[in-house]
Amino acid sequence: MKKLTAILLILCTLLALAGCGGAPRADSLVVDTCILMEADENMINNYSLLAVNPEAPFVDADGNAVTDVAVNTVGAAALINWLLSEEGEAAAAEYGFAEYGEHLFYLKEDRPISTAEIPAATEETKLIRLSTTTSVNDSGLLGFLLPLFTEKYGYEVDVYSTGTGKAISNAKMGNADLILVHSRSDEEAFVEDGFSYVIEGMDSARLNYMYNYFVLCGPSDDPAGVREAASVLDAFRAIAEGKYRFISRGDASGTHKKELKLWPEELGITAEAESFAPYADWYVSANAGMGACLVMAEEMHAYILTDKATFLTFVANGGVL
Amino acid sequence: MSSSIQKAIELILSADRELLNILSTTARLSLTSSVIALLLGVPLGLLLGGCRFRGRGILLVLNRTLMGMPPVVCGLLFYLLFSGVGPFRHMRLLFTVELMILAQVVLITPIVTGNMETAAAGIAPALRETALGLGLGRGRRLLLLIRECAYPILTAYLLAFARAIAEVGAVAMVGGAIAWKTNVMTTAIMQYTNRGNFSLGIALGLILMLLSLIVNAALSLLQRRLGT
Repeated sequence: MKKLTAILLILCTLLALAGCGGAPRADSLVVDTCILMEADENMINNYSLLAVNPEAPFVDADGNAVTDVAVNTVGAAALINWLLSEEGEAAAAEYGFAEYGEHLFYLKEDRPISTAEIPAATEETKLIRLSTTTSVNDSGLLGFLLPLFTEKYGYEVDVYSTGTGKAISNAKMGNADLILVHSRSDEEAFVEDGFSYVIEGMDSARLNYMYNYFVLCGPSDDPAGVREAASVLDAFRAIAEGKYRFISRGDASGTHKKELKLWPEELGITAEAESFAPYADWYVSANAGMGACLVMAEEMHAYILTDKATFLTFVANGGVL
Repeated sequence: MSSSIQKAIELILSADRELLNILSTTARLSLTSSVIALLLGVPLGLLLGGCRFRGRGILLVLNRTLMGMPPVVCGLLFYLLFSGVGPFRHMRLLFTVELMILAQVVLITPIVTGNMETAAAGIAPALRETALGLGLGRGRRLLLLIRECAYPILTAYLLAFARAIAEVGAVAMVGGAIAWKTNVMTTAIMQYTNRGNFSLGIALGLILMLLSLIVNAALSLLQRRLGT
């Protein structure tokens, strides 16, 4: 027993010493990275809900068709109908205003609106698997919305939060009942391949209902002169021509897909590593989450594309999410 | 570092609900998987180390190969097997703690087996001579071997527990790091790192190390008692 006490005492002393003596890390640093360009028509960031089709052409890892994939269609429809109800939409639009003084997400003018009755959860429909992008989770939106829904109707929502690319492939593997993502081309392919379907009372499978803006951020002294650029496409051209460092998510996320569309076409930058090998001196493919990339951009004085909700959360928290 | 230590202490004192949930999931996962791995690995290891039979060499090589299995590969395998389109889809186990336990058992059992094999092989020849001298049968010889191996069994358990509590590749793939359900200390650290919240990640890491210290200190005391 004595030995154990001694070990614990030594540990406590070490902790205390480290606590007092260590140099204070600039933990809540003032973030220098700032928004240099926003609200460009090319920078709209659309979020869509898609219910997973139980009759989708699922295939297993070897490419063989699988027909009896369990999908909680009732639960998925309930969550979608709530998110698109007056209550759910108002909550999403309001989110973050009190805290950040700015709306983090906006409702589309032509959004689908649901008035469908939402059934209470039953034993079979209780568990809803939502595969989604990190931006709606890390910005705190889902943490704010879902408890409102689960308390009222008794459902339980498992949130699998990852990049849009992985969120979609997770659903294609039959591991999600619905997805909430932000990459139009991927969503359209998902629908076209038969993985989504039109739920009752809706006009389309892809329910594009809210948006915010992608923002181009960078060091406040803006060496590439992005602030003066006429459009975001010109801004990206200026960064590439001046070879100013740029942090790419590089992880097939919605933000990464968007960024790939903004580079001058002749550079030929795609998701393939080979395509940006000639630009390795300034183009940094991080393969990391938004927060980790923002920290990199801050430390390397680099430019970065991010969604506004995540960026505002990042700045408000002093450089973390 | 100092801010992280401060944060860790604050977190422990605040008894944050989410942290408590992560801690209890971590405890449930690592204790269950390490105990199951011990129950499977000890007899296997004793068999491999203490007995001579045909095919033993092949089993040994196989076990040693499995000891080096990358956790993320194990996780990927289980993800594919238990996916909505996988062969075991009807069990509906993906993104549950139960499947995380199963994946960890597959990872850890070979380590326990390998360690027990080494320990048993070291003392088995001398033991066999003594046992033959005393005229003991096969079953009693095995019982004697288990008794003599009490110390290495504890060492093997500590190894198993350490691997279980520190492992991230498999549990992240199989568990999906779902809040309030399958998020454990290591996956939470990954999550915070991805969000750029490095100091909170370190804070969680410190708490994890503290847990590990307590378990190790307690078991080491027990081991010392067994040793004397």
